[in-house]
Amino acid sequence: MRDQPSGKDLLDIARDVLRDDLIPALPDDKRYPALMIANAMAIVMRQIEAGEEGSIEEQKILSDLLREDGSLEHLNATLASRIREGRADGVEIWQALRGVAAGKVGESNPRYLNV
Amino acid sequence: MGLDAATITDGLTDYLSERTGGEVAVSGVHKLSGGAIQENWALDVVMQQGDWAGEHHLVLRCDAASAVATSHSRADEFALLKAAHDAGVIVPMPCILCDDERVLGRRFFLMHRVGGIAAGHKLARLTDISGLAGELGENLAHIHSLKPPHEDLAFLGEPPDNPSTAAIAMYRGYLDELDVAHPVIEWGLRWLETNAPAPSDVVLCHRDYRTGNYMVEDGHLSAVLDWEFAGWSDPLEDIGWLCAKCWRFGANDREAGGIGSREDFYAGYEAASGRTIDRDSVYFWEVMAHVRWAVIACQQAARHVSGEERSLELALTAHVVPELELEILNMTEPLNA
Repeated sequence: MRDQPSGKDLLDIARDVLRDDLIPALPDDKRYPALMIANAMAIVMRQIEAGEEGSIEEQKILSDLLREDGSLEHLNATLASRIREGRADGVEIWQALRGVAAGKVGESNPRYLNV
Repeated sequence: MGLDAATITDGLTDYLSERTGGEVAVSGVHKLSGGAIQENWALDVVMQQGDWAGEHHLVLRCDAASAVATSHSRADEFALLKAAHDAGVIVPMPCILCDDERVLGRRFFLMHRVGGIAAGHKLARLTDISGLAGELGENLAHIHSLKPPHEDLAFLGEPPDNPSTAAIAMYRGYLDELDVAHPVIEWGLRWLETNAPAPSDVVLCHRDYRTGNYMVEDGHLSAVLDWEFAGWSDPLEDIGWLCAKCWRFGANDREAGGIGSREDFYAGYEAASGRTIDRDSVYFWEVMAHVRWAVIACQQAARHVSGEERSLELALTAHVVPELELEILNMTEPLNA
C-alpha cells in the first residue's frame, strides 16, 4: 500500500507552492512557462481524480451507437469514417459526440463548460 | 545550432558593412519572446554610408530550430510583407532579405521594429481601444485588395476555384496522417461539406489574422504580423478567423477577436473594401476556424507525442482540442435535436 499523501495531493500542494510563492517572484519572461506548468499539473490532477471512467463510458456510448465491439481506437476510427462518408449525421450521433466532448473538457478545462 | 547575440552582432556587422560600403555598428541584440516556428531578435543598427545612413531599430527574423512544412520561407514572407506594405497595410516595413546561409547559418530578413503589445490575453483586457476593431477591418480590406495573379506572390501557387472545398479536403488529408481518429472534427468537416456557401471571391488572405498576431500601441493598430500562412482564399476566411470564439481570449462579449464589436470590425472592412459582408457565410467560416484550429492543435500535439519536437507548449495544445470540439458541436447542432 502506498503511503499518504496520494499523488493527486502531492501535485495539489506542489502546484500551490508554484502558483503562490514562485510565479509572483519570477521575471516577466518566465511567467508564461511557469503558468503552463501549473496548467499541466492541474490537468494531471483532474485525470487522476477521474480515473478511467471517462474512457469506459466513451467505449459504452460508441459501442451502443455503432452496435459493434472493439477497442476505443477502433470504435472512434469506425465512427470517424462513417461520419466522413455521410452515413452518420443524425441527432443521436451528435448527442453522443457532445457527451464525450463535454467529458473531455471536464478534464482539460472545466471552466469552459460554463462559458 | 542555436543562434546567439554575439553571432548575430558579428555576422550582421560584416554583412551590412559589405552591402553599404561603410562602417556599421550593431548593438542591443536580444531575442524576443514567442515564435515556435520563427525566431525574432531585436537589434539597433547605425550605418554611416549608403541609402540607409542613420540609426535604425530593427527586428531580425529567421527560422527557429524546427520549422513546419506548411509555413512560408523567410524569402516568401519578405515578399508578402512588401506586397502588403505597398497595398497600404500597416506592417513592419521590410528592409533587407539575406538568402546567404553563410552569414548567420540560416536565412533571415530585417524589418523595422514596431512598438506595442501583441499578447492576446493583455489586449482582451484593454478598455481604451474603441477604434481598434474598425482599424483591423480597414487593414484586412487592404490585404484583400491583393488579387491573383500577382507577380511577386507566384510562390502562393494557383488560387483554388473553391476555397472552402479545398480547405475541407486539405484538413481531411491532415487528419489521415494522424495516428488516432477524431470523430468530432470529422463531424465538423461533414457539416462544412453540406453547408458550404457558394464561393464569393478569391483574394490574398492572411490566414492567421487574429488577436495575438498584430501589435497595438496607444490603442491603435501598429503592425500586422505573422504572415507565414498567407494564401489565396475566400475573404470571409479571415473574417471568420478573427471573429471565431476560440480567438477571443476569454472576452466573449467582444466578438471581434476579444477587442471590439463585430459590427465595428465589419463597418471598417466594408467602408474600405466596398464589399458587403455576407453575415450568414461568416458563420460557416467561424465553424471552419474551429475545425482548422482543432486540426492544427492535433498536429502540434502529434509533434510532441511522436518525439519529433518535445515541448510543453505543444503538449498543452493537445488539451485545447476538447473545448474546440465542444464548440464545433455547439455550432452544428442538428435542427431536430
